[in-house]
Amino acid sequence: MPIPETILAASGPRRSRLSHALTQNIGLALVVALLVACIILYCGLYIATQHRLPGGYELTSTLNNTMPLAFAALAQTLVVLTRGIDLSVGGVIDLTNAVAALTLMGGPVSTTIWTIAILGIGALCGLLNGVLVAVGRLQPILVTLSTLSIFQGIAIKILPQPGGAMPPGFTGVLANPNVPLSLIYIPLIGILWAIFRRTRLGVSVFAIGNDAMAASSHGISVKRTTILAYMLGGVASACAGLFLAANATAGDATTGDTYTLTSIVAAVLGGVSLFGGRGSGLGALFGAFVTVMVVNILFFAHIDPLYQTFYEGLFLLAAVIAANVIGQIVRRRR
Amino acid sequence: MTIHATRRHLLQTAGLGLAAVPLMVARPSFAQSSGKTYKIALSNSYIGNKWRLEMENVFKAALAMDPFKTEVVGSIYNSGNDVSKQSQQMSNMIAERVDAIVIDAASPTALNGIIHQATSRGILVVSFDSGVTAPSAIKVNISQYDLGKGWAEWIVKQINGQGNVIMVTGVAGTEVDLDRNKGADSVWAQHPGIKVVNRFTGMWDSSTAERNTAAVLPSLPKIDAIWCQGGTDGVLKAFISANRPLPPTAGEAENGFRKMMLGIGGHTVTGYSAGSPPYLSLMALELARRILNGTYPKKNIDVPNVFLSNADLKLGVNVFADQPDSFFDDFTAGGPTSPVDICAQAAIDGSACTDQKLIINLPAA
Amino acid sequence: MTIAAVEAVDIGKAYGGVAALTKASFTAQAGEVHALVGENGAGKSTLIKIMGGRVRPDSGEIRIGGQAVSLNGPQAAHHLGAWTVFQELTLLPWMTVAENLLLQQEPRSSLGLISRQATLRDADALLARYGVMHIDPRALVEDISLAERQTVEIVRAVSHAPKILFLDEPTSSLVEREVEWLFGQIRRLREQGCSIVFTSHRWAEIRSIADRITIFRGGADVGTFTDIDEDEAVRLMTGRRVEALYPPLTPRPAAAPVMLEARSLSGPNLRQVSFALHQGEVLGVGGLAGHGHRELFRTVFGDAHASGGTLTVQGKEKKFRSPRAAIASGIALVPEDRKTEGLLLRMSVRDNASLAILKRLTRFGILKPQEERRAAQHVVDSLRVRTAGIGLAVGALSGGNQQKVLLGRWLETECQILLLYDVTRGVDVATKHEIYELVASLARSGHAILFYSSDAEELAHLCHRVLVMREGVVAAELHAPGITAEDIVSAAVRDHRAA
Repeated sequence: MPIPETILAASGPRRSRLSHALTQNIGLALVVALLVACIILYCGLYIATQHRLPGGYELTSTLNNTMPLAFAALAQTLVVLTRGIDLSVGGVIDLTNAVAALTLMGGPVSTTIWTIAILGIGALCGLLNGVLVAVGRLQPILVTLSTLSIFQGIAIKILPQPGGAMPPGFTGVLANPNVPLSLIYIPLIGILWAIFRRTRLGVSVFAIGNDAMAASSHGISVKRTTILAYMLGGVASACAGLFLAANATAGDATTGDTYTLTSIVAAVLGGVSLFGGRGSGLGALFGAFVTVMVVNILFFAHIDPLYQTFYEGLFLLAAVIAANVIGQIVRRRR
Repeated sequence: MTIHATRRHLLQTAGLGLAAVPLMVARPSFAQSSGKTYKIALSNSYIGNKWRLEMENVFKAALAMDPFKTEVVGSIYNSGNDVSKQSQQMSNMIAERVDAIVIDAASPTALNGIIHQATSRGILVVSFDSGVTAPSAIKVNISQYDLGKGWAEWIVKQINGQGNVIMVTGVAGTEVDLDRNKGADSVWAQHPGIKVVNRFTGMWDSSTAERNTAAVLPSLPKIDAIWCQGGTDGVLKAFISANRPLPPTAGEAENGFRKMMLGIGGHTVTGYSAGSPPYLSLMALELARRILNGTYPKKNIDVPNVFLSNADLKLGVNVFADQPDSFFDDFTAGGPTSPVDICAQAAIDGSACTDQKLIINLPAA
Repeated sequence: MTIAAVEAVDIGKAYGGVAALTKASFTAQAGEVHALVGENGAGKSTLIKIMGGRVRPDSGEIRIGGQAVSLNGPQAAHHLGAWTVFQELTLLPWMTVAENLLLQQEPRSSLGLISRQATLRDADALLARYGVMHIDPRALVEDISLAERQTVEIVRAVSHAPKILFLDEPTSSLVEREVEWLFGQIRRLREQGCSIVFTSHRWAEIRSIADRITIFRGGADVGTFTDIDEDEAVRLMTGRRVEALYPPLTPRPAAAPVMLEARSLSGPNLRQVSFALHQGEVLGVGGLAGHGHRELFRTVFGDAHASGGTLTVQGKEKKFRSPRAAIASGIALVPEDRKTEGLLLRMSVRDNASLAILKRLTRFGILKPQEERRAAQHVVDSLRVRTAGIGLAVGALSGGNQQKVLLGRWLETECQILLLYDVTRGVDVATKHEIYELVASLARSGHAILFYSSDAEELAHLCHRVLVMREGVVAAELHAPGITAEDIVSAAVRDHRAA
């Protein structure tokens, strides 16, 4: 081994591993703190008004109601990390939800096959977005705004009247009203995210979000990575559509619309930077839970109905400001 | 003038409201309501228009009036047309162990899961206005088909089955729009003398209806009657601007339309006014109470349509000179024998009536 | 006859009609350190970009190991053993040093997934192998200094055991010790038979390391030399003699009023700093990097907050909460890293020039285009900015010309106090000369100038007084005439406790 002539010696002790981990995952740490705060506040209000502790039903229904948004936020995160944005999330949810309503009615075998096919539809939607953005070199916001309308249009065409009835087994697995099965899905998403982050694709997604030019000069294919990110996002959106159908027990080609905006809110609350390259799917997942906890808190606070949205906005604004301030303080103190 | 006054008034109430509402309102919660019998919650998908506002206002007012004042603890939640939020709010209602949930749904099917959870826990679910398909929910609604049909039949009578008619339709793709049009078409089919010379959307919105009418009017022959789903006052304003005579008009229950039926503002129209009444929320509330106390069977009800002709209108009762044109006058059906009788103040700001009793007549069981 | 390791033959390249290279050639042998020198705008950076595969040439040929090659991307160059450290660094800011060092060659765990532990371990080993102990592989690139980023970028390139290594201005953000380290690495690579091609503006460095020098002027090579003195080189580059580089120092008027006074200014990395800056004076600030200069400038400009002490501007005590407030008091800052701190590269010369005086150029918030054009043209003319037009994006200009636009922007504000922070870093001789002239004439016309430079020679020639900073305190104050670069360096490195 060659001996270097000059050594650039360390000037002081290195910062601890924990200190690095905290500052580099500050977004995630903050959303976890926010979620804990929300849960405490919710429990406090619940006990004050109901004189008992929230139990299994509250847990199950909150989880089941959040899973579609959690997947939508995950979908949004995958795309936002590449410095893009996916406004078609709601459209993919509409479309997959509609297809689910039309096809999921048979036995377990046909249901499984169709479920996989629906995930494939999500991937195809993502492929379309990804190709238009990466190969067509079009602005993601314009591409996905257009495909949002296209997917919505197809959804309403194939399912003009809300309807369908999910097989009980399907609902029982994805959105069981009696057992908090989602407690399994959340760690599962966490594990999948950790795996994704440790694949070359995962690193590439972050890298092109950091600086596409620099990433490509180190051999990362920006086109391929972008397309795959949109495709994975499409699959996550399709998951959202399936969980939504399971929870509703039926399909409606328009109920996905609101997820476009709420998925962005959840991702940003979860510490995902809209400028790309920073954030985590886990954070977005927790961000989704925060937005639902806010609904719960406002419910048990018995706010005048006319001002519920006002306080919801206020609450989210306060959360974002608080997170920002704490983040700045932590970064300054380095 | 009136519009300005009202807007200022609204702003004032909003301002006062914001100042007065602390984050946590110390309202009597259900758990402490030992004296009252039933807990009933209203889950409304959104509060983005005047109709929904009046619907919620009369509901709020009714809760402060007998019999609900003594028997029911009520609460109201809006979900910004977000299905998952409405579903989450309903699961919170279930957690609160309410006795009944009254819903104006954001989706006909997407709430079926949560509705099923509620009913399987013994909670009564009554849907109204934007209905749901869940079989376990009780439905309260008017027949939109009959409404469209009723308007058309009146027109046939007015013009003796002969003449040119325009149809101003609603928001395409909605069930309500479809049913109303079907009702009208069933009548036209029996009267070949009626010619529908144009059919265009008014989006249930006065200004849209006015704009679209103004756009097609120059190309149209003499119009003998107007069939209008909504934005009726806008359609008539377009006729006035084009210096066309106002033909007999069947339309919604907008205050602007009814004012013209009374000749307020210088133009008089022969009209026939009816609509989806905001008091559907009261019918649903009353039905829930009656089912809960066992005085009414657990079944769907069809609320009868109330059509008003020029002679039926009375200023201050079912037309209001000091309310904006967009105000829906059918928050009350008027009179103690009608389906619902409630004061105007209740619809305007949700306060309880001081000088009259609340009357809700469910159809005979 | 040996086959050259790398050759550029008559390379030509034009951007938007402006020729950056006309007929540029050089040849570097294996085991040779080859310097490319020339004014900014001579085309060196463009040539390196072409050699590195980032930019396609319009004409000419690249030969590696005697074979003509077509480089359709940096990857293609890498496959041929050619690695490049570009002037615009290619590190990913929100990823760790370790992730950057091992990008696309991350160690895998048994499951086939990237192992973070192993990545950190390998990165640590890599840094240690090249004697870089002061950079924490866990740190985000965003959080380390420019010099450290440059070091990481160099380590990354060197770690691939390149056959050919291109370095574009590798020393521009490095201090002495880091330059020493870099030269150690270069010598080692040379011994291993690697061919190293680099660009620099620092003549002393070129002399100490380069085996041969190719001089460029106006987009073409002028000649390749093994032994050439500075005078001759500068003459070839610019046609000007080196003594004429620095303008004569005009003594400042004896009774000039104090424009800016700091008393016991303290803050992070800043302890009890006091000084008075007079009208017409160039007050130099020198010392080793990281000893508080940056913090001093940021504090005076309102970009950092002092924890103690006072700042007086023209007799009035001020507490700036933002750069906006400092600008309002007639203070302007020209920062070091013009890419990220000063200029909006994608916007035009006109937009950049008028940014600081938008208020003056607008009426009721609406820009007056003819005035804006006039102001921008004034900047371009008075500073001799070489640009095809004021509508051109600043990013398309050479480094020295970018710096001139940045300087000119503040001159338009008619501010009285100028804070110049290492403004000649990475700037060629001719532009340096123009900047020196400008600084001197600004002082003569009554501006007060606080001037930090990492180049001690520059401070010695240009300043009336020089404050040498060490560990956040003013360690020495030197007075002209008679300041030498040696005085400044020795004051900077002397242990004050021993003195």
